[in-house]
Amino acid sequence: MTGPGLHWLASYPKSGNTWFRVVLRAYLDGADDEIDLNRLQTGLIGSSRLWVDDVVGFDTADLYPSEIDRMRPLAYRWYALQDGFGGYHKIHDAFLRNDDGAPLVDPQATNGAVYIVRNPLDIVPSLAAHLSITLDEAVDVMGNPDAALANTARGLNPQLRQRLCTWSGHVESWVDATEIPVHVLRYEDMHGTPREAFAAALAFLGLRGEDERVARAISLAGFDRLVHLETTRGFRERPASMARFFRSGRTGDWRSTLQERQVARIVSDHAPVMQRFGYLDKDGEPV
Amino acid sequence: MPELYQAYGLTISSEIALPELSACVAPVGDPDVRIVHDPTVISAPIGAGWVQLSPFAWTGSAGFVLHIPDVAWFAVENGDTIRAAPIGGVDMASVRVFLLGSAIGALLFQRGLLVLHGNAVDMGDGCMLCLGLSGAGKSTLAAAFAARGHSVLADDVVAIDGEGRALPGIPRIKIWRDAAERLKVETATLDRIRPEMEKFNLPLPESLVDTPRPVRWIFLLGTHERQDFDLTHLSGIERFAPLLANTYRRRFMEGMRLNADHLAQCGRLAGKVHMARVIRPESGFDIDGLVDLLLREMAGAPAG
Repeated sequence: MTGPGLHWLASYPKSGNTWFRVVLRAYLDGADDEIDLNRLQTGLIGSSRLWVDDVVGFDTADLYPSEIDRMRPLAYRWYALQDGFGGYHKIHDAFLRNDDGAPLVDPQATNGAVYIVRNPLDIVPSLAAHLSITLDEAVDVMGNPDAALANTARGLNPQLRQRLCTWSGHVESWVDATEIPVHVLRYEDMHGTPREAFAAALAFLGLRGEDERVARAISLAGFDRLVHLETTRGFRERPASMARFFRSGRTGDWRSTLQERQVARIVSDHAPVMQRFGYLDKDGEPV
Repeated sequence: MPELYQAYGLTISSEIALPELSACVAPVGDPDVRIVHDPTVISAPIGAGWVQLSPFAWTGSAGFVLHIPDVAWFAVENGDTIRAAPIGGVDMASVRVFLLGSAIGALLFQRGLLVLHGNAVDMGDGCMLCLGLSGAGKSTLAAAFAARGHSVLADDVVAIDGEGRALPGIPRIKIWRDAAERLKVETATLDRIRPEMEKFNLPLPESLVDTPRPVRWIFLLGTHERQDFDLTHLSGIERFAPLLANTYRRRFMEGMRLNADHLAQCGRLAGKVHMARVIRPESGFDIDGLVDLLLREMAGAPAG
C-alpha cells in the first residue's frame, strides 16, 4: 500500500474520520463500484489491542494502561521499521506522551498525520448519539481533561484506552505537535470545497492523483450512499448501542439540536481554539 | 528448596512459588522443567546468533529471551529451563502472570507441542477447544462451562500433543470483574492476577482430569453487531487457517523457526476435529445461551 512508515488519520471522535477513510478507500481502489463499508481497511486503528499484542508478542490484557502506553510507541516503531509496514491508520488518542516522556504516536514510525477538525458544536449531538449519553453529558466529556475512550478497568475491551483530553486539548495536541508533520483538514471544508480539501489531504499522504479520481472517490462516498449502504448491508464499526452510524452528515446541525446554554458552555470552554479554526466570528459568536 | 508442581504433563521444579499450579503429589525421577530465579538475566542478549523478534523478545540457539518492562526478564532454554529475573521490587503475582503465560508457552513450543491461544474444556471422552481473539469471551465461556460441572483442562495456553490431545494445564481461569459478575462468581475471596487489576484468578477444582483428552471439537469465537448467534461449520482446508491464526504468540513461534513442524501439527489436528465459527452478539452476551448452543452442537456432531 505504502512504503515503510505510518500515516495517521487523526481526529477527535465524530469529526469525519470515517468519511475520510471511505474517500481514501475509494481513491485507493480507483474503481467505479460501490464501496464495501465493511472493508474500509486503509490500515488499523492505533488503539487496536490486537495490533499491539501482535507486535509485542504478549497479551496487553495482562498489562496496566500506563504499561501499555509505554509499549505503544515501540510497537508502532517495530511494525513500521522492522516489519516494514506502512498504511493509513485511524487514531482518536490525543497526541500525548506516556510516562517515559515518549509520544504514543512514535515520530520514528510516523510519516505524517492528517488531522481532521470539526466544529465542536456539531460534535456534541453526534458524540451524544455515539456514546448513548445526553447532550449535556457530551458537553461535559468535551470539556473534561481526563476524558478517555475504552477506559474500563472491569473488563476487556478490544480497544486500548485512548486518552482524549478536552476537545480543545485534543486539537492543540495534534495541530501544534512539532515531532511529526501534520496536515489540518477542516470537516467543514470536506463539505464546502470537497475536491480541494480532499485533494490536498491526499497529496499530503503522498497520493497525488488525477482530479477525476479524487472526484469519483468523493462521489462514491456521498452521504446518501453511505446511509443506503449501512441500511442495506450494515456497518461493523457501528457501536451496538447506536441505531445508525451515519446520522446527519451535515454542518450546522447544532442550531436545531443544542439549547442555548449548551452552546454557551461549548463556546466558553473552547473559545480560543474555535476562533483559531473559524468556528467563532471576531465577536466570539458561533458562525 | 524449590517446590515441585505439575502442569501440561510435566513435573516442574520451581524456585518461585506458583500457587496457581497443582502440587506434584508423587514425584518420580528428575523434574522435566526447572524454573530458577536468576537475577543475571537482565538485558537484551547480544552477539551473533541472536535475532530480535519484537521490541521485547529475542531468539537464538541458546533459547528465547523475553522482557516484560518493569516486570521481569525470562530466558527459556531447551524446553526444560526457565530462568526468571523479576525487576526491582515488582510483586510476584505480576511475574507469575507472564511466567505462566508467554514464558511457559515458549517452553511448550520448544518441547514440540502445538500451542494454541484459547481454552480446553473436558466433555467426557474428548474435549472442546474455544479459540478466538482477546475479548471474544473465551475465558467467560470456559468459566460458564466450569459452572455447569465441566472440567476446564487449560485456559489461555492450550498445549496439544502429537496425537491431537489437549494436556491438562494450569487449573485456573483468569476472569475479569464484569465477567465474574455476569456469572455470579463472588470475587471478594479471589486473588487478583496483579495487584491493581480488576482481573482475578478463578481456581478450578483440583483437576478432575489428569490425563490428556483428544480434541474433538473446536469453536472459533467471535462477535458481531447482530443480536443472534451464528454458527457456521468449517470443513476441509477451511479448518487449517484458524489454527494457524490462533497459535499462541505466533510471532515468537515463527521466530523460533518452529514453523514447518507447526504447519504439519495444524494440518494433522485440522483433519481430526469438528470445527465451527460461532459468532455472538457484541453486547448483551447471553452466556448460558451460548453454552446451550455449543452443547447441542456437540451432541449433534458426536466424537468421531
